[in-house]
Amino acid sequence: MTNSITVVDYFLPGEEITDIKSKERQTIIGPGLQRDKNKPNSLVVTQAGRLHFRAPNTYWIENRKTRYVPKRGDLVVGIITKKSGDVLKVDIGSAELANLSTLAFEGATKKMKPEVEIGDIVYAKLLNAYKDMEPELVCVDQYYKAGPLGVLTNDGFLINVNLKLVYFLLNVSNPLLGTLTKKFPYEIVIGLNGKVWMKANKAKDILTMCRVFEASENHSEKSISDTCRGQK
Amino acid sequence: MSNFRKTIISNAEKQFLIKNLRESTRLDGRAFNTIRDLKIEFGKDWGCCNVSLGKTKVLAQVTCDLQEPKSNRPSEGTLNINLELNPMADPSFEAGRQSDLSAQLNRLLEKCLKDSKAIDLESLCIQMKKRVWSLRIDLNVLNHDGNILDCASIAALAALSHFRRPDVTSDGVEFKIHSIEERDPIPIVVYHYPVYITYAIFSGGDFLVVDPTLLEEGVAEAFLSIGLNSYDELCGLHLGGKAQLSTNVILEITNKATKHACGIINLIKKGVELDTKKKLSAKETGFHKGNLKETNDSLSKLSISLDHWTTTKTSKKKKKSLKLNTVEEINNDCRMECDDINQPNHEVIRDLGVQTTELVHKGTKGEWIIIDSDSEEGANPNSSQNDIIFVETSKVETIKVQGSDSEEENVIIVCESNQEKNVSKSPKKKKAT
Repeated sequence: MTNSITVVDYFLPGEEITDIKSKERQTIIGPGLQRDKNKPNSLVVTQAGRLHFRAPNTYWIENRKTRYVPKRGDLVVGIITKKSGDVLKVDIGSAELANLSTLAFEGATKKMKPEVEIGDIVYAKLLNAYKDMEPELVCVDQYYKAGPLGVLTNDGFLINVNLKLVYFLLNVSNPLLGTLTKKFPYEIVIGLNGKVWMKANKAKDILTMCRVFEASENHSEKSISDTCRGQK
Repeated sequence: MSNFRKTIISNAEKQFLIKNLRESTRLDGRAFNTIRDLKIEFGKDWGCCNVSLGKTKVLAQVTCDLQEPKSNRPSEGTLNINLELNPMADPSFEAGRQSDLSAQLNRLLEKCLKDSKAIDLESLCIQMKKRVWSLRIDLNVLNHDGNILDCASIAALAALSHFRRPDVTSDGVEFKIHSIEERDPIPIVVYHYPVYITYAIFSGGDFLVVDPTLLEEGVAEAFLSIGLNSYDELCGLHLGGKAQLSTNVILEITNKATKHACGIINLIKKGVELDTKKKLSAKETGFHKGNLKETNDSLSKLSISLDHWTTTKTSKKKKKSLKLNTVEEINNDCRMECDDINQPNHEVIRDLGVQTTELVHKGTKGEWIIIDSDSEEGANPNSSQNDIIFVETSKVETIKVQGSDSEEENVIIVCESNQEKNVSKSPKKKKAT
């Protein structure tokens, strides 16, 4: 399915795309594109970035943005910035701080509160995200089990990467994490909001990871894959 | 400077940073005493320059217009520095409102450029009590990745030394301002070039790190900003935050900072000279002429960093430990340095006879700090209650700046060469504020 993605060109907001190659006159459009009602066979670009096309009929724009817009169901990494009563305020990189109830941890009750300090890092799921409300996080799934969610330990490190790299890293077939695995053991938590928490045995291993992510931020998936293949 | 940051730094980042400092590594692979890559670009107009220090970017533009001079200084032009912090630089900055940080930065820059008399303001006078040039430096922070002060001071200085004002002629009654096409514009007279070098101080003075990044700035306990010119003269000293530094440490840092300052100033001078030549030979200059580099080199960086073992080996060798708390190490180092420098001196002095020790002290400038530091360093933790630091009293003038809001900071102006100037300056400053 992923074999025929083509990168068309760089577009700026307001530009029109007229040469649509969709079959059967049906087009699926992704982020950064909008339909032009007056002109039936053209699209208007709303975000700056490279236009991607996947046969037979999918179009979307990819760019290197770092600002995260919350979406329901996303798994994100956040920093606890405030504690007020039962609610924790979490910085997930969005316009507003997200709410996380202290009851939304596994095994937590009114009396048994989880041990969370200000400045701790949590891995959580977005329960809801509306544009007029603060986003809400939970650290349990629908069966009240934590699974991978919860507070992350403080002996790791946190970095911010752009969202494009996040999507690339979350793709199971990406070669970057595999290449790193061959060098040293590590733990990594990738939030869809661009925050990445990682932990390794040695500090220099973590620094290597930081540098790898920083260097690969500005490259296409193909060149990263090529570089990784050269490593073996 | 430490409390402005609104986005919280996670405990993990703090712990990791401190842990790395203990192993004498910095997160970006620099040594403790290395500044980031400095790039100075000049724009199309006179007095327009863009300085980037790592990822921190500051854009400076100097403008001038005619004004009536101040009544207490009828024969001097004026110099205004205006630093702005936009949300573009960092989301935590608010637009249009002057924050504590921007007020502090503005004042520090003013102190560095204006109060150290780096610019010849009298040459900006056209007619006494009537008309003088008023210079204005607008500094815009385009991106904030720590250490705005250093970057801004470099940008301000580079823009000032690059700037040229239009020529003016007068027949006693009327003035005529010549346009740039009519007559060549005149450069500003810069007596000396002062820049700031900032050090971040961690865990009570154990680690001192030059040119801190945003993360380092957020974790650091205190900041020491040293204003220096190319003649090794102090043009401003500012210690913000809480730290227990001994006098020796400050002097030692100042010695180290002079090297950075000289390098930066040379870069500014060269850059200005090169661009001026280009402009005068009517070549097209400006930001748009700068070569846009493709990111090919960073792809090789990726493969290098992926090649885990080799990089860490080489980078570890580079990193020089700068731990200040381990007295023995420093003692060894400095003894070696002293030996290197003094050996010829020693022999010469022995021939002379009596005053051996005193002469050695004078000859070695900064290195004397550490030799008998066993007792000093030992006493340090005991006397750790007071935050204020006094450098030798004979050399120091402490001036309380009335305008500043923060109670913690203490302004110390050290003046080595001409004490009287500073003394005479202080009452005037009080009047001004």
